Amino acid sequence: MAKLTVEIVTPEKRILSVQADEAIVPGGKGLFGVRPGHTPFLSLMEPGPLTLIDGGRREYYFVAGGFVEVSNDKVLVLADVAEAVTGIDVEAAKKRMQDAQERLRGMSSDDVRFDIEQATVRRETARMSAATMR
Amino acid sequence: MASLRDIRKRIRSVKNTRQITKAMKMVSAAKLRKAQDAIIAARPYAQMLDQIISDLTTRSGGEELAHPLLTSRPVRKVELLLLTSDRGLAGGFNSNVIRRASRFLYENSGVEIEVSTVGRKGNDFFRQRGQKMRKDFGYLFQRLDYTHASQVAEEMSARFLKGEVDAVYVVYNEFLSAISQKVSLAQLLPLQTLSVGAPTAAQVGQSAPVAAPTPALVDFKYEPARQDVLDRLVPQAVAIKLYRSLLESVASEHGSRMSAMENATSNASDMIASLSLTYNRTRQAVITKELMEIVSGAESLK
Repeated sequence: MAKLTVEIVTPEKRILSVQADEAIVPGGKGLFGVRPGHTPFLSLMEPGPLTLIDGGRREYYFVAGGFVEVSNDKVLVLADVAEAVTGIDVEAAKKRMQDAQERLRGMSSDDVRFDIEQATVRRETARMSAATMR
Repeated sequence: MASLRDIRKRIRSVKNTRQITKAMKMVSAAKLRKAQDAIIAARPYAQMLDQIISDLTTRSGGEELAHPLLTSRPVRKVELLLLTSDRGLAGGFNSNVIRRASRFLYENSGVEIEVSTVGRKGNDFFRQRGQKMRKDFGYLFQRLDYTHASQVAEEMSARFLKGEVDAVYVVYNEFLSAISQKVSLAQLLPLQTLSVGAPTAAQVGQSAPVAAPTPALVDFKYEPARQDVLDRLVPQAVAIKLYRSLLESVASEHGSRMSAMENATSNASDMIASLSLTYNRTRQAVITKELMEIVSGAESLK
């Protein structure tokens, strides 16, 4: 059976390039699965878990922000942040979330940093929940 | 003429200096290596983003890509982001960008310009001269990662969209090689071209990628919609551009300091050589003088 080639890259480095049977990606409209022969498309990604299934073995990654492009059985994940769930530092994530919440308190919604801090809270929350999947 | 002791002291002091500059050179070389690796590691993403952008453009079937961040308007307020370093002793690294920034301020004295900085050197310079400063993003250097760089870019984009600034420029040292840097003034907002300018495969010395067959135009789906993808792609391109400038600036800093320290080390060596020569000459002169005194003393006793 044909396999998918999955590549995860972040602006900092290439995280991963592997073969897999199936990939489950946190898309702009919820999780979606990709198998070989999937119709080509380009989707936004939300912070969340990304699952790779290969021969019954599952591997979990946390990704945040970015795009997924699927074409010709190639899954290209361009994430702002990506890491294996086993590598997540829950304490650090929690601290980043709390710090952002602290800064949000008393910040008006049209402050130029309002959206940034909110995104941080969303991202770190998703990161902590992805950490439970290890 | 300087006494022997004085010369000895000078030699010792220059030797100490040489030791320091030598150590700094080694440290810079190691840091440069890391900074270069970071630039190389950032390439795949930039290439793929460019790929997506060009796919999006070609598949649009001639439809114009429109986004507020791509739209220019009459410029009344400008933000200039200056990338310098926290530390000096890096040759012309800081003074070159500062000079370029000053020229920019001078040439555009008709518009209101706010200066923001990354790095203490630039910040100190303009603050002392009473320039209107907006913000120092110096904390970026504590840990230069994409998350923080993109937040700065998002902040700039948000200000641009709200009309607080009409254009944002970045002035920084472009990294050409370990020994050469070029000061570059780039327009960050409004974005002039979507492409993040990743080096082509040929430039980085890889074999050209096999051209993927162009998927049928009709088959390609966007989720949620094409415009949503574009809405995210444009700010992303801004962030990547800024991130790249930061990486290049850091690599340039270490490259520049490395060559500066290399020069300083060889200057110190030259100085030690010439001081040693003076020292030995003086020593000989002293010995000769003493000998002559002894001889003439003995002579007079005869």
